[in-house]
Amino acid sequence: MNEERPFLTVRDGLLQPALEEAAQPGGRLCLPYGEAAGGEPMGGPVHFPGGIAMPVQIERVLGFGRSFSFWPLLFGLACCAIEMMAMGGSRFDISRFGMEAMRASPRQADGMIIAGWCSTKMAPRVVRLYEQIPDPKWVLAMGSCAISGNIWDTYSIVQGIDSLIPVDVYVPGCPPRPEALWQGLEMIRDRIKQSRHAYDGLRRIPARDLLAASAGEEPCAPDASSAPTPIAAPAAGTTA
Amino acid sequence: MSDHGAHGAVDAAGQGDHGAHGAVDATPPVTGRPTQEELAERKARTRVPPERSGDIMTISMGPQHPSMHGVYRAVLDLDGEVIVAVRPEIGNLHRGLEKLCEERTYHQIIPLTDRLDYISGFAMNHGFCEAAETLMQVEVPPRAQYIRTIASELCRVSNHIMWLGVHIMDLGTQTFFVICFRDREYVLDLFEMLTGARLTHSFARIGGVAKDLPDGFEHRCRKVIDFLPKRVAEYERIVKHNRIYYKRAKGVGIFTADDCYAWRVTGPPLRSAGVARDLRKDEPYAAYGEVDFEVAVEYNADVYDRFLVRMKEIRESCKIIRQCLDQMPDGDFLARDAAHTLPRKRDVLRESGAMIQDFNQVFRGPQVPKGEVYRSIEVPKGEMGVYIRSEGGPRPARVRFSTPSFYHGQAVPPLVEGETIADMVAIFASIDVVLGDCDR
Amino acid sequence: MTPGEDTLQTLPASLMTAVEALGSTFGERLVERTEFRGELTLSVDPAAWLDILTFCRDDGSTAFDQLDSLLGDHLPERAEAPFAVVAHLLSHTYGHRLRVKTALAEGQALPSVTGLWPSAGFDEREAWEMFGVVFAGHPDLRRLLTTDDFEGFPLRKDFPLKGTVGGRVRTDLRGKI
Repeated sequence: MNEERPFLTVRDGLLQPALEEAAQPGGRLCLPYGEAAGGEPMGGPVHFPGGIAMPVQIERVLGFGRSFSFWPLLFGLACCAIEMMAMGGSRFDISRFGMEAMRASPRQADGMIIAGWCSTKMAPRVVRLYEQIPDPKWVLAMGSCAISGNIWDTYSIVQGIDSLIPVDVYVPGCPPRPEALWQGLEMIRDRIKQSRHAYDGLRRIPARDLLAASAGEEPCAPDASSAPTPIAAPAAGTTA
Repeated sequence: MSDHGAHGAVDAAGQGDHGAHGAVDATPPVTGRPTQEELAERKARTRVPPERSGDIMTISMGPQHPSMHGVYRAVLDLDGEVIVAVRPEIGNLHRGLEKLCEERTYHQIIPLTDRLDYISGFAMNHGFCEAAETLMQVEVPPRAQYIRTIASELCRVSNHIMWLGVHIMDLGTQTFFVICFRDREYVLDLFEMLTGARLTHSFARIGGVAKDLPDGFEHRCRKVIDFLPKRVAEYERIVKHNRIYYKRAKGVGIFTADDCYAWRVTGPPLRSAGVARDLRKDEPYAAYGEVDFEVAVEYNADVYDRFLVRMKEIRESCKIIRQCLDQMPDGDFLARDAAHTLPRKRDVLRESGAMIQDFNQVFRGPQVPKGEVYRSIEVPKGEMGVYIRSEGGPRPARVRFSTPSFYHGQAVPPLVEGETIADMVAIFASIDVVLGDCDR
Repeated sequence: MTPGEDTLQTLPASLMTAVEALGSTFGERLVERTEFRGELTLSVDPAAWLDILTFCRDDGSTAFDQLDSLLGDHLPERAEAPFAVVAHLLSHTYGHRLRVKTALAEGQALPSVTGLWPSAGFDEREAWEMFGVVFAGHPDLRRLLTTDDFEGFPLRKDFPLKGTVGGRVRTDLRGKI
């Protein structure tokens, strides 16, 4: 499995290269996250008290151990949650990987599986839950809605939760079969083993950076394509 | 258990032990059906009148909570364990689906309806197609009606099995959840064989269904529906006489028939209140008029009876599917109506008429007369009404899905005020709210 | 939508009795009666909305004890009364259904029917939120499905589908995250 290339690139293609660059030793963040934030970068290598960096071998052992008991937050939004629950059933059995203990409290969780579309009403709560999960944490965006908003390009849906929180693995599908989610979880486990996080090197979570960068701007006018078009092109995803 | 006497004790103020156990132990066993007065009296006895005495603590149950019904938020005012007031907040999953429908042709709306009640996707497709076909006056061929009936009933089975798993999980166990999801996998395999997808089927089309029954489907379907009633009997044996479930569900969450009418609560909660209303019998659509089944009715209007109603509905659904397979007529699975329906896929590249029809239907959409319709069908959670207003174009001018979860979510305050938090979890699980259905 | 005596024959007899009772009580306040695809629609004067629906619920021949659905609608092509409120009624006693609708001007309020059927609470809140139709006497008329500070009425035809907050930056989340 090639963890260098993301499972799915986000629509403007800027996110993953920026994160890859920032995760290199000595890497710095470039646009679109900018340097507006200030403060310490998130994630990165763990330091012992006194500033001594933890040796990589110990970090690998810790990662190996963590990868066998990744406890996601019990947080299902929509249809993908049903497939996530089916993964918890006995046919697909997430318990083989130690993940059946889905925690209800974010304080006890190791990560989140965002399963479903995120509305603007729910967005602050998703961000708050993400922030309440203690480090180290990993996020899996499950389903097209979490990756990019899917067909719900409307007034109340966030078009992809990677504009809110840093995402490690994207699992496409509508909904992805439990086997696809399993592959995504395997990719998460690879990242856990290497102690690589999506927030390594970020100064702030994407939502705050984007909002801060646009602090002086007026809200964008809706683009012309939001008006109904006279001839209907076949909508993506429907079968004739 | 030696502490039964303590449960039945009632103190001088007339307020019983708040687990609603007082009603079960203190009264003599009721044989026969309770009348509305008796139900109202039981409800008054098991509930504490919601007065704001003492310290009120306000907590927010949700939107993220371990109860797996989606992101429903209920702000509770608590006096100890007793809920004094509930303020529900929905909309955490609002997509603007109805607005999106106005920009899409009728064929393109079908995959959107899948995602309404995503546990029973085909039932939602079916409802929308019934309304659209009424508007366009498309006659669905009999074979398609039977296939739709089979798929709808499989949705009902899948929904109720999952409901059971989630309901029992809300009450504390994990085992039942795993058992129910294992059995649901058989039904999902059938759906995958029939429609190609486990969950979001998009199988109904205006005028019929997308494909005919595949080879081997009938054999496999019969095996599953022979096996499922035995499973349901096993669930009932485990759950029905389980002392813990009995105490947590019997006499809890009584919602009489008048309450149900006033709050537009339909489906299993209404049938558990003694009202034999089932749109499959009262206003038959698809092939329900040609099959023989009983309406599942219970009379105690509590959580326990909603469980019994749903288990009986699974058995009746298996019966309906068996009859549909036995009586399956030959013929088309999709109406041949060039103005309103899509052609068969295999004809599209072979016949010019079909190619033109395909082009028209996909690029221009169906030719729909001006008018408005409202069709209501019995989806697994209750009655869903689809209202379509058309101004004559290929796109509707207004679509409204009056989904059961919207009204059931609204009925949570009268159901729950005066109960304890533990009972609230049981009651909220029993009325089967799914937020995709509620918020659209 | 063509009213005609012959098409009205396909409706159930109990509904015909109910409609005659309504017609005799309210006369010309029932503006129009149409039948389409086996359903009967009454268009009524907004001033008579509450009276007519009260009669529908309480009278023995109508007995509409369930409000199946209440929704708003926007018809910008009808300039003098662009908004509509449509109520679908169902009778458990007789099994018949009726649609009652009314046309409203911009800013005109309609009395709330939550006193008759409590299930109208959420329906009317949604109609207010999506269209801006005010329901006088509603106990809690505020936003239901969108955020509390949402501006605009989404289901109106002049509101864009993608909303007024365009682009990748969700400025409506400013201050909340």
